[in-house]
Amino acid sequence: MQYELKTQVIEPQRSTFTAIEKRYGDKPASRYLEGIIDVQPKENFHYRPTWDPQREIYDDTFSLFRLTDPYSYLDPRQYYYAPYVTARAGHHEAFATSLSYIEDRGLLERLPDGWKSVLTELVVPLRHLESGGQLILCGMARFGFGATITQAAAYSAFDRVGNAQVLSRAGIALGGGTADLLGEAKEHWMEDASLQGLRKLTEETIVESDWGVALLQLDAVDQLLYDLLYRHLDDEAVVAGAPAYSLISQHMASWFADNRKWIDALYKAWRADEQLGDTNAALLEEHGQRAVDRALEAVTPFAARIDELIGVGAVDCVNAKAAEVRSAHAAEQA
Amino acid sequence: MSDQTETKAARDVGVVIQESENNRPVIEAIEQDNPACTISHSPGLVRITAPQRIVITQETVEEKLGREWETHEFQMAIVSYFGNIQEWDDDEIVIAWDH
Repeated sequence: MQYELKTQVIEPQRSTFTAIEKRYGDKPASRYLEGIIDVQPKENFHYRPTWDPQREIYDDTFSLFRLTDPYSYLDPRQYYYAPYVTARAGHHEAFATSLSYIEDRGLLERLPDGWKSVLTELVVPLRHLESGGQLILCGMARFGFGATITQAAAYSAFDRVGNAQVLSRAGIALGGGTADLLGEAKEHWMEDASLQGLRKLTEETIVESDWGVALLQLDAVDQLLYDLLYRHLDDEAVVAGAPAYSLISQHMASWFADNRKWIDALYKAWRADEQLGDTNAALLEEHGQRAVDRALEAVTPFAARIDELIGVGAVDCVNAKAAEVRSAHAAEQA
Repeated sequence: MSDQTETKAARDVGVVIQESENNRPVIEAIEQDNPACTISHSPGLVRITAPQRIVITQETVEEKLGREWETHEFQMAIVSYFGNIQEWDDDEIVIAWDH
């Protein structure tokens, strides 16, 4: 007896959800698109919020920065829950490996004195800044409009908790497994003149009601600080014989590179909007410049303190970066 | 003789790719870079054919995938192909008939 093997193809009734079919056609869509497109609630809001009766509970006028179609913005990393969690779990595991290497070799104890002070007095206290960043991004996740934007903001907010943890763990390792240094770091954050500019700016950004402006402000501070601490200082650490610093900073640097992707894409989407692009570009220039000015003012005393401790041209580095960010906000307008 | 060369010149090349969440952006990238290609679905597999030549570009795949992609990862996606692999570089893979 002979059998004939045949494949029988059963065409699916539809390849994807209606909302996605409308935008991209009836073909299988990625998990990212299926989970995010047109998720933002837009209608059937029963009551306006008592704290702001001019607006709906979800409203695209919570920021000056608007998109005609919020879903013209997509997170280039296409993070939804699973890939995001996997990526970050890998990231933190890698950090734990570096940290245990640092501890095994006693690298932190062997840091040159100036570098130890930089870590305890300036870098570890920044966990409070990261914490502030979490609040700012949570605010954006709440008041932003368009699920692709708010999702990216929410993940970035979680990242901030992770960054604060990375700094805390470095602080705990530096304190010989105790939280003493973290307590001291809090005092530095509250008292030191070199950190007050940053603390003030963080707190002001937390209460900024326009999430777009708040993002620009946080981003401006990040660009100056991360460039200074985890690129410029990393280079210097290699020369100065502070490998522990380098090992820690590589993780912050790689996170920053990843985080930039969604923010840059958002700026790009704002500029590229067919109807609102010019308005957005003008707003980006105006608020971007202002954000950089304020960030520079806040970071300069911080950088000056680094120069006092180890003399690595930190202030010059920050000034150069500020000029670069400022022109990036303006130049792309053309 | 000349007839034969003409048929050879117009011969199709193609790849068969396993259809999965990870490979879908790769398929989309091939679709975009090779406008002349035809795509047929069968359960679990996608067969892409094009006259003479198919190019898979790293840049396009990365853009669709949203992460870095190295061309050797293509081996994980591919089930079969027909044609010769003319190039397998860091930035692109070209499948075409040599003669």
